[in-house]
Amino acid sequence: MEMFAFSEAAGVEDAIRAGAESGTAQQGARVRFVAGGTTLLDLMKLDVERPLAVVDINGLPLDTVTKLTDGRLKIGALVRNSDLAYHPDVRSNYAVLSQALLSGASAQLRNMATTGGNLLQRTRCMYFRNRALPCNKREPGSGCSAIEGENRSLAILGTSAHCIATNPSDMNVALTALGAVIQIEGTAGKREVPIEAFFFEPGDTPERENVLDPGDLVTSVTLPPPPQNCSQVYLKLRDRASYEFALASAAIVASVDNGTFSYIRVALGGVASKPWRSLEAEEQLYDQPVDEASFRRAADAALAGARPQSRNGFKIELAKRCIVHALGVATAS
Amino acid sequence: MTVSPAGSSVPRIEGPLKVSGIATYTSDFNFPGLLYAVPVCATIGSGTIAGLDTSVAGSMPGVQAVYHRANIGRIYRSAPDEGLGTHLDERRPPFEDDVIRYYGQYVAAAVADTYEQAIAAANAVKVTYDAKEPDVRDQLEPEGQPNLDGERGDPDAAFDSAPVKIDQTYSTPVETHNPIELHASVAVWDGQDFTLYETTQGVVNHRDVAAEMLGVPKERVRVISRFLGSGFGGKLFPWPHSFIAAAAARDLNRPVKLVVSRDMMFQNVGHRPRTQQRIRLGAGSDGKLVALMHDSLNHTSILDDYQENCSEATPYSYSTPNFRATSGLARRNVGTPTSMRGPGAVPGLYALESAMDELAIALGIDPVELRLRNEPNKDEGLDLPFSSRHLVECLAVGAKRFGWSGRDPRVGSMRKNGLILGWGVAGCSWIAERFAAQVAVDLRDDGSARVATATQDIGTGTYTVLANVVSEKTGIPANKIEVVLGDTNLPPGPISGGSMVTASVIPAVSQAIESAQQRILMAAIETEGTPFYGLEADALAFSGGIVHRKNEGPERGMAFEKILAKAKARSTSGLGKAEATFGSEDRKFSQHSFGAQFAEVTWQPEIARLRVSRVVTVIDAGRIINPKPARNQIEGSVVMGVGMALLEATEYDARFGAPINNNLADYMVATNADAPQIEVTFLDYPDRVLNDMGARGVGEIGLAGIAAAITAAVYHATGVRVRNLPVRLEELLA
Amino acid sequence: MRPTEVFAPAEPPADGQSARKNQLAVTLRVNGESVALQIDPRTTLLDCLRETMRLTGTKKGCDHGQCGACTVHVNGRRVNSCLTFAVMHQGDDITTIEGLGRPGSLHPVQAAFLEHDAYQCGYCTPGQIMSAAALLEEPCGATDADVKEAMSGNICRCGAYPNIVSAIQDVRSER
Ligand SMILES: Cc1cc2nc3c(=O)[nH]c(=O)nc-3n(C[C@H](O)[C@H](O)[C@H](O)COP(=O)(O)OP(=O)(O)OC[C@H]3O[C@@H](n4cnc5c(N)ncnc54)[C@H](O)[C@@H]3O)c2cc1C
Ligand code: SF4
Ligand code: FES
Ligand code: FES
Repeated sequence: MEMFAFSEAAGVEDAIRAGAESGTAQQGARVRFVAGGTTLLDLMKLDVERPLAVVDINGLPLDTVTKLTDGRLKIGALVRNSDLAYHPDVRSNYAVLSQALLSGASAQLRNMATTGGNLLQRTRCMYFRNRALPCNKREPGSGCSAIEGENRSLAILGTSAHCIATNPSDMNVALTALGAVIQIEGTAGKREVPIEAFFFEPGDTPERENVLDPGDLVTSVTLPPPPQNCSQVYLKLRDRASYEFALASAAIVASVDNGTFSYIRVALGGVASKPWRSLEAEEQLYDQPVDEASFRRAADAALAGARPQSRNGFKIELAKRCIVHALGVATAS
Repeated sequence: MTVSPAGSSVPRIEGPLKVSGIATYTSDFNFPGLLYAVPVCATIGSGTIAGLDTSVAGSMPGVQAVYHRANIGRIYRSAPDEGLGTHLDERRPPFEDDVIRYYGQYVAAAVADTYEQAIAAANAVKVTYDAKEPDVRDQLEPEGQPNLDGERGDPDAAFDSAPVKIDQTYSTPVETHNPIELHASVAVWDGQDFTLYETTQGVVNHRDVAAEMLGVPKERVRVISRFLGSGFGGKLFPWPHSFIAAAAARDLNRPVKLVVSRDMMFQNVGHRPRTQQRIRLGAGSDGKLVALMHDSLNHTSILDDYQENCSEATPYSYSTPNFRATSGLARRNVGTPTSMRGPGAVPGLYALESAMDELAIALGIDPVELRLRNEPNKDEGLDLPFSSRHLVECLAVGAKRFGWSGRDPRVGSMRKNGLILGWGVAGCSWIAERFAAQVAVDLRDDGSARVATATQDIGTGTYTVLANVVSEKTGIPANKIEVVLGDTNLPPGPISGGSMVTASVIPAVSQAIESAQQRILMAAIETEGTPFYGLEADALAFSGGIVHRKNEGPERGMAFEKILAKAKARSTSGLGKAEATFGSEDRKFSQHSFGAQFAEVTWQPEIARLRVSRVVTVIDAGRIINPKPARNQIEGSVVMGVGMALLEATEYDARFGAPINNNLADYMVATNADAPQIEVTFLDYPDRVLNDMGARGVGEIGLAGIAAAITAAVYHATGVRVRNLPVRLEELLA
Repeated sequence: MRPTEVFAPAEPPADGQSARKNQLAVTLRVNGESVALQIDPRTTLLDCLRETMRLTGTKKGCDHGQCGACTVHVNGRRVNSCLTFAVMHQGDDITTIEGLGRPGSLHPVQAAFLEHDAYQCGYCTPGQIMSAAALLEEPCGATDADVKEAMSGNICRCGAYPNIVSAIQDVRSER
């Protein structure tokens, strides 16, 4: 790890000012905020992240969950994953988020990890994490080692010829199914970005993962009020029984009226370059009867555009089973 | 079948230190002026170093030195020795030449005042390479003619004409030991002598090797390993980092700490090699084997010949008139393999027992029954009787406890709570031998005893077992027995390997106690004021810590500490020595432990979820000295076996030669949530051929059948036979 | 709030001996005692405890949040000390295994681990115990399966899991 300047942000503006010193807020940033540190320190030890300045944002007043008067839930960027998962409002109204958070990492990591940090966690691609090997995301233009290498855990949706990395977050999948909106404060003031527009597919710039510019601080995430009478499920499939990222996961938010879907959101994790909302699956389900045939049509539609790699072709079938089963659980009465 | 305690199942004597963080492991040692060393690892899998530039690294803050081939000084090779005397698996000293033979090979090391500075400096060393394409292919082919490891009868002809045949190839991946304690060395040089704090399962061997490689007499090297955060074989023999630390300490005249990082643990400190094993079984329709052939290959490194011995257990497992075992090596650009828990038998029995399961299915015979039909009445490989073999009872007891009679053999036919169940069984075995051992026992005037030997407790409970043995033999309560291990200043003890420590030390302990007691009897007859003054020593006996006349009971005797007090002696010390049986030519028995393992898996095809839910293990390992740690060893083996069967494989990237999943998130070992319900039963048949207490060892055997039992269960649940570990859910998805 | 401190990034040192440069002042409260330290900002809480403060009960098994051996309590919650910088913990209350209980006055979890033989080599044990002690205060379900899941952030390569679960359940049942 290279030496860096350490500072504590005294306020939001202070953090923004410090962050703006960096040439980029993406891969290669020379200024990094540290929240829980569980992604940042991990990558700094691997020399994948090499900031010259680390700004501790833990003192900022962004650590509360508040119910807004319009019914939205506002989650501060520094709310810890464990606190969020056990928050009474989240447990009762956003169960899919609670389940997703609790399926991730370990109890210790969830005590450290923050909403903002989890949102921005980086891929687990093993080549990205080994600075000796080529990787377009880490060293643009150096090549993607994963495409012809160990890609069992990598993405089949939203990939490009330049990068097939998976967004590994469980939380993000639930946030996507819930239609979360990200609040950002930066040098140009405040803005809001829906989660679906927040992340980019890799295209030919896999080093650019999201909308953040230098100085941008994620201050909170808001959730719209949940749809009436909806049921929510997060299903995560993996090799190990615990403490493992998803091979495939599905977040479902569904309402059923008279035996047909009146509201449905399907988001996938572990299989895509970004938290993946499947409009295709949703389209197949709206107004359709709640039965296995509909679930299967939805699953097929969700994976229709999948591009398997040498070792992860099984994820197509796995993701389909994940969707079908999760829909089944969500609609079981 | 009950457990026979030598003393009851008491907490481990070192337990309070372990639960309070006081137990000192190697990297916990710290000394004034301590420096930190961090190795630089090659980032190619094959080739040569073209350039090595330390100018930036060398001038970074706090950096004391950056070592590499040109400036490390002379590190010698340790000349080969017979068997396991003065042994190391990776023989090449660090930095010996500029050739890179595996990814991660050490090419330099930075030494600095702080750990952070040393890491930064190591990262700043610029190395350029002339790279060649590494060969890390999984598919193995033998280099030259395979070795013939054993043969009887005419296996080819018998196999050809057998009514029922199985001919399958099974492979096991590279597995990495991954003890949670990182390998580490803390080297202290005082201008004349080395004191090396090492993560080692063999302080004496480490001392002997280090002396030769550092070019100093043995007396100038002391090796200490008070607590070891487990090793599973990976810490049996020294690895190159140790010599980097020692050489740096000598050169800088400062203590040096070098902790091997987790990623280096996948490169530089050994692994279980990849194996590929063809098993051919020929049987009559009655299920009796007529031919058994086991042809195994394992990979090894470019410079070292590491033999896995996959067919180690094959010759004596079953009765068959026609038999052959061969083995061969395939050379790859990988670090040198080493022993990993149950070397040979663990991958070998996975293959053999899987083939037996396939044979049972082919014959339509219950797999337990098939094994019973092929039970030998002697070791047909050695043509010797077994000292003690109760595999049949293990199978019978296990079947009962597991509920095997309720098994419906049809694939996917059994269900519980909506889950498909799969049941499988396998036999297991492990050698029961002794290494040479010396033990000192002091009996002291406060009624306590001290027992000392330069073996080590690697987590298997050696501290406690020694206390139990001394307690049983002297009558001194275990809490008054001090056990000192892990220091070459003590009488030479065995490596902690092969599950042999307990068996090895018992005869030496007995002898040491006898000699210490004999000296107390001498003191008794020579000291005025004892009731025995002037008697002959052979008129006296020593029972339960009391000296008394042979013709009287101990009630009329005198406690040994009183005799010592009267003799004004602090203690009497006895030394015991026992010879090795391991490697001995002159044997009258085939000595092994046996067991049976029954596994249940649950399978949910709708979400491709496979879990091991229940394992029953029955072990025949002679007498169990302390049941608590012994049971813990078997349970731990079962947990490791879940990893072996379903999770663990080190993957090498074919282009770069890198073990690419070199961390505990990508190389997965079982978590708490993966641990099945585990039941362990010990049969109680003391094996007095090995030692007077009849104890064998239990460290490895529990891993020897579990993978085969699980894959058999997976077949039963899913219809998919996995012959290439681990079982990946993609294979079950079809 | 602490005033923002900015230190120059590493530049080639003039004398090669500037070990003290780039050090930050931080006061840690560890096991109830405040200790003022000068520390490299790169130092993790784990390395600070082990190498600077010589509290070696907390172990390093992976340095990347993947094993749990480094688990300590920060303000009463269990965290992986390898993934946080020591300088981030000014004013935090840190408890390590050394502060939980000593032989003679063991914490109930330590005593239960002893009683249930919930370890072999003992290397993961401080982390397991710190995790278990924190778990007692967490919203964890009553079943063994709940405990297993909640303890899955602590790898025990010796596989002492069954005894770890029974030790924890024993303590929970007494509360
Ligand atoms: C072993 C292991 C297993 C894991 N398993 C899982 C799993 O199964 N599922 C899962 O979802 N996750 C898993 N994780 C990932 C974990 O959830 C993330 O590391 C964590 O959520 C990151 O949060 P943090 O607060 O620690 O982020 P930090 O490391 O503090 O920050 C991460 C990044 O975000 C930036 N950042 C942080 N906050 C802000 C902000 N407010 N504004 C702008 N930028 C910000 C930082 O500069 C940094 O670049 C695992 C992690 C580990 C180490
Ligand atoms: S998949 Fe993306 S992150 Fe992985 S090696 Fe390729 S470019 Fe790098
Ligand atoms: S050392 Fe921190 S989790 Fe492994
Ligand atoms: S007791 Fe050895 S790793 Fe857990």
